[in-house]
Amino acid sequence: MTLSTRTHIRFRLNDRTVTLNTLRPTETLLDFLRLERRLTGTKEGCAEGDCGACTVLVGRLNRDGVLVYETVTSCIRFVASLDGCHVVTIEHLKGKDGTLHPVQQAMVDHHGSQCGFCTPGIVMALYALWMRDAHPSRPTIEKALQGNLCRCTGYEPIIRAAEAMAEISQKTADPLQAERDEVRSQLAEWQTGETVDMGDGADRLILPASIDALAQSFAANPKATIVAGSTDVGLWVTKQMRPIGPLIFVKQVEGLDAIEETDGGIRIGATVSYTDASAVLSETYPAMRAYFDRIGGDQVRNMGTIGGNIANGSPIGDTPPPLIALGATVTLNNAGTHRTVPLEEFFIDYGNQDRQPGEFVERIDIPKLRNNEIFAVYKISKRRDEDISALAGAFKLMIEAGRITDARIAFGGMAATPKRARHVEAALVGRDWSIETIEAALPAFESDYQPLSDWRASSDYRMMTAKNLLRRCFLEQQGETASLKRFAAVEA
Amino acid sequence: MNDQPTTKWIGQPLDRVDGPAKVTGAATYAADYRGDQQAAIGFIVEATIGSGKVSQIETAEAEAADGVHLVMTHQNAPEQAPFGDNADAGRFGMSHAVLQNDEVRYYGAPVAFIVADTLEQARYAAGLIKVTYQADDSVFDAFEHEDDAFAPDSLDGAEEADVDKGDFDAVFAESAETLDATFHTAAQHAAAMEPHATVAEWDGDKLTVHIAVQILSSARKAFANTLKIDPANVRIVTPFVGGGFGSKLGVHSEGVLAALAARKLQRPVRIAQTRRHVFSNGPHRTNHRQRIRLGASADGKLLSVAHETLGAMSRDYPFAEAAASPTMASYAADAMKIRHRVVAANIPHVDSMRAPGEAIGTLTYESAIDELAVQCGIDPLEFRLQNEPKQEPASGKEFSSRTLARCLREGAELFGWETGPVEPGALRQGRLLIGRGLAAAIRPNMMQPAEAAAELYRDGRLTVELDMTDIGTGTYTILTQIAAETLGLDPNAIAVRLGDTDYPKTCGSGGSFGAGSTGTAVSKACASIRDTIIDRAARLDGDWAGVNSGDLRIENGNAVVAGRSLALGAILDAIGGDSFKGKGQVEPGKAHEDLAQYSYGGVFAEVSVNADTGEIRVRRLSGAFDAGRILNEKTARSQLMGGMIFGLGAALMEESLMDMRFGSFMNRDLAEYHIAVNRDVPRLEVKMLDTFDQNSNPLGSKGIGELGICGTGPAIANAIYAATGYRTRKFPIHLEDVLDHLPAL
Repeated sequence: MTLSTRTHIRFRLNDRTVTLNTLRPTETLLDFLRLERRLTGTKEGCAEGDCGACTVLVGRLNRDGVLVYETVTSCIRFVASLDGCHVVTIEHLKGKDGTLHPVQQAMVDHHGSQCGFCTPGIVMALYALWMRDAHPSRPTIEKALQGNLCRCTGYEPIIRAAEAMAEISQKTADPLQAERDEVRSQLAEWQTGETVDMGDGADRLILPASIDALAQSFAANPKATIVAGSTDVGLWVTKQMRPIGPLIFVKQVEGLDAIEETDGGIRIGATVSYTDASAVLSETYPAMRAYFDRIGGDQVRNMGTIGGNIANGSPIGDTPPPLIALGATVTLNNAGTHRTVPLEEFFIDYGNQDRQPGEFVERIDIPKLRNNEIFAVYKISKRRDEDISALAGAFKLMIEAGRITDARIAFGGMAATPKRARHVEAALVGRDWSIETIEAALPAFESDYQPLSDWRASSDYRMMTAKNLLRRCFLEQQGETASLKRFAAVEA
Repeated sequence: MNDQPTTKWIGQPLDRVDGPAKVTGAATYAADYRGDQQAAIGFIVEATIGSGKVSQIETAEAEAADGVHLVMTHQNAPEQAPFGDNADAGRFGMSHAVLQNDEVRYYGAPVAFIVADTLEQARYAAGLIKVTYQADDSVFDAFEHEDDAFAPDSLDGAEEADVDKGDFDAVFAESAETLDATFHTAAQHAAAMEPHATVAEWDGDKLTVHIAVQILSSARKAFANTLKIDPANVRIVTPFVGGGFGSKLGVHSEGVLAALAARKLQRPVRIAQTRRHVFSNGPHRTNHRQRIRLGASADGKLLSVAHETLGAMSRDYPFAEAAASPTMASYAADAMKIRHRVVAANIPHVDSMRAPGEAIGTLTYESAIDELAVQCGIDPLEFRLQNEPKQEPASGKEFSSRTLARCLREGAELFGWETGPVEPGALRQGRLLIGRGLAAAIRPNMMQPAEAAAELYRDGRLTVELDMTDIGTGTYTILTQIAAETLGLDPNAIAVRLGDTDYPKTCGSGGSFGAGSTGTAVSKACASIRDTIIDRAARLDGDWAGVNSGDLRIENGNAVVAGRSLALGAILDAIGGDSFKGKGQVEPGKAHEDLAQYSYGGVFAEVSVNADTGEIRVRRLSGAFDAGRILNEKTARSQLMGGMIFGLGAALMEESLMDMRFGSFMNRDLAEYHIAVNRDVPRLEVKMLDTFDQNSNPLGSKGIGELGICGTGPAIANAIYAATGYRTRKFPIHLEDVLDHLPAL
């Protein structure tokens, strides 16, 4: 098969078309905006997606051809990944006549800006919210602001600004509405199915158009780094200063972001974002909703992918524990040849996954819950939002006639990899679903895990909490929910 | 205290005048500055030992890398005055030399500075530098080297390291109720949203530095002293600063590196410290051990107080925090013993962070007072009220005004404080333990020298210029209001210009002294214009003789007073000029020497502690505060709310953890250094007393920026005690600290 390729990337930046014939593969959108385009309204607060000061909107045509805008942290988003997208920065919101956008006006009226350094990012986060929901509830506002830190205001004035947005103007008055049709047709025109291949050696970047093109590219360049949402890989560059080229970008690969229902469950393409995965998984596994809401903020959830979260092999990745507990399998593609492995077997050791050179994660299959199966998942972190798990635990238990007939339990943050608690499972299966059984199974945790101590949590604390999460799982099933669900879904 | 004058503009909740610039991204911070010539980009290579020497540094590979213009190390850095030279200029103005020799003073100190065309190139080349070190014996942990502790020559926030009043040991020994408690407070970083950044450019021998800094005049001195150039040849520009909280009081290594490199390359150099760099190349608040001993009579009269603190001072950088400052000012006691001790350590610069002294001093002292009140069986609110002093307890000075008791009472009313003992753990909601606590907030009110210039044009527009900064506090806005008030002018006709050493010299932003000091200077500058107008008008029209200058208003380009009106243009034509110019100046006067001046607050907190997991949530915070006259209801309220959230962070989250093997901070990013996120913030209620302190300054205002942080942390800690019956005596308080001490339900 011959693939049509081009050697430049193109995207829309505010109201202009940008075409780049040369590009360092690891150049971040933030540096491009600030240093090359002199669009300095977007700020760098951390360069690792923690603070949200660099938030911009990226518009793209989704699977259904609808133009959607999402917040992203431009500090860890590589420019190359914007091919075919519309980037909207803070400079674009104000009217040509200088009139402030309603979101901006609300922030001025309610004193939502003090030192102002976080402000552009907060305005963009609120603008994205306002596009989705012109009359947001307080929990919705809080969720939209999860990914933005402010050190001055105490947040209260920002919340008030968000609540006032709707009063200032209706959504239809958005000055940017006028350009939507033009943007939509421009982005549609750019959907040509071409693979982008630019640069040489370590500076080479490839944007395969299809799964086959990706398989070919990666087989031919097995040492390339695959970049999906760059919420982790971005930090390899900005924080660890690692040379990681050449790069193969995968978010634009057609079909790799598919979500489908299969006979036995749900199939999720490797590049499905946390945001999109959450929408689907929360329907089937309700416990997932609150859990997903505690992964980063909107920006990270919009960028980060399920496949990336698995493929990078982090022991504290948020998605592997619940996916392992649910019995998910991962399907890998090696030059077009597929193989499928149980997810827990994919993680061999710290920094070592069952992935051959040239092989990439193509999809994840997650079985549906069977009758009489319960599922629970918990994240424990030091800070309420925007924090890395100290540990995360997931439980899938089959309870039939008062007995536990099957159990799958998996934890992150308890070992060098996301890992099943096979001793605990064995101590549960075949026994009564009772507090006595739970208590009797707890010592088995010590056979499964010997967690380390770091500043997030001590070994002892991790061990104790892991045991308590099993207790919690039991108590919740007994209806003891009122006092246990402190992290109620923010949609509540 | 006296009555507040009636005003039109001062006190109004005027929207920030810089709000539109900030919400549109148009406000330019240091790193946003763009000159005519494209700036090269700098990147710092940090030392990976805490103390010792660079024995070898290989730069060839980096020098040969694409786009690299300069690799500066101690081997080729231009000559500078040795670090710390010109000590008379203070720690902000002394020499801040970098790369001056092969010595490494702290982990993360620059050992090389790469300058390239792009950030990517500079960062890449930084990875190619290879350094070999020869490490010395180092001191990182002050507590381990307590034997080497000494009393610092000077303290931030107190006059003397040691204070003795009466015979503490004797009175303590005789006190019926005693407490001897040792507290630990954590190291913290200000974590302003804008990392330190500089663009330096030279025009011949003139240096212009665009830098994120709170005080311009000392920054100018620092560059002049470091580079051994005339201060007149240094211009500092910083129209917007993305938060400071003390971290930008002085200049840091990136600023000096940029200036050195820009001179070498004859090209502007821009460097924004990465967030990781900020944790070592920016300042921090060091961790402290604080022993507090209190003695009271059986009926709860405080008799004896000892407060002994121990922390680290970074080697060669003279700063120590007066953690016992609130102790000396809050409650009456016959005997007092204050000791501040430091150990010189090879750690990154220790310096002021928001409310130095009180932030960590009220955390401990207000916790201890609470503990003693409970021990005496007296309601903690009542205990504080009954120990209210008549004069400043440590010094015996009269107070300029004293409203702590009123703040506590009004805060109690706002919060709904129920007097009377509550058994810890008694208040519950399901399996949540509910606790309520309070604490006093106190923060010295200071005045610093400041000058301002104002110019009124014939069309009635006014410009006000001074080298003050707006670090987010609202300076542009309140100075606009003060000018509007003084000249009876519409705020829309006023342009306040800040952040440039070409403007008259001020104290800058710090210590909550900015608004009162510079506001007074602006007010005087505008008043002098008023006097000039009346004087000149009287020469034109005898009817103007003797009119009260204070009644003058500027309306539509006319000077208007008591039925008289004259066009500004007519007056100017008559005297031959284009504008009226006025200068204002203020110096701290006798009232600041003779009187004890403070801002006050009473802060109340309600927390829940999960009886099973120990998770702590602050449910609401209420505070009543007195910072004298409120200059802008909106900006003042935000200062207090932001301060309260800072206090919440100090109580529950913020902690810079040092690896004591290396003297390096471990959690050097915003993912691991936890500041409060939106959902950590409880319901906030703020009441401002809005009084007038005639002794503080002519405006009657007092410092507000640091007040909110002061009482909040201990109020939360005291609420956690009320919920659990356990006092952790360490900050921040984590759930694992209370886990083993939760009452059985």
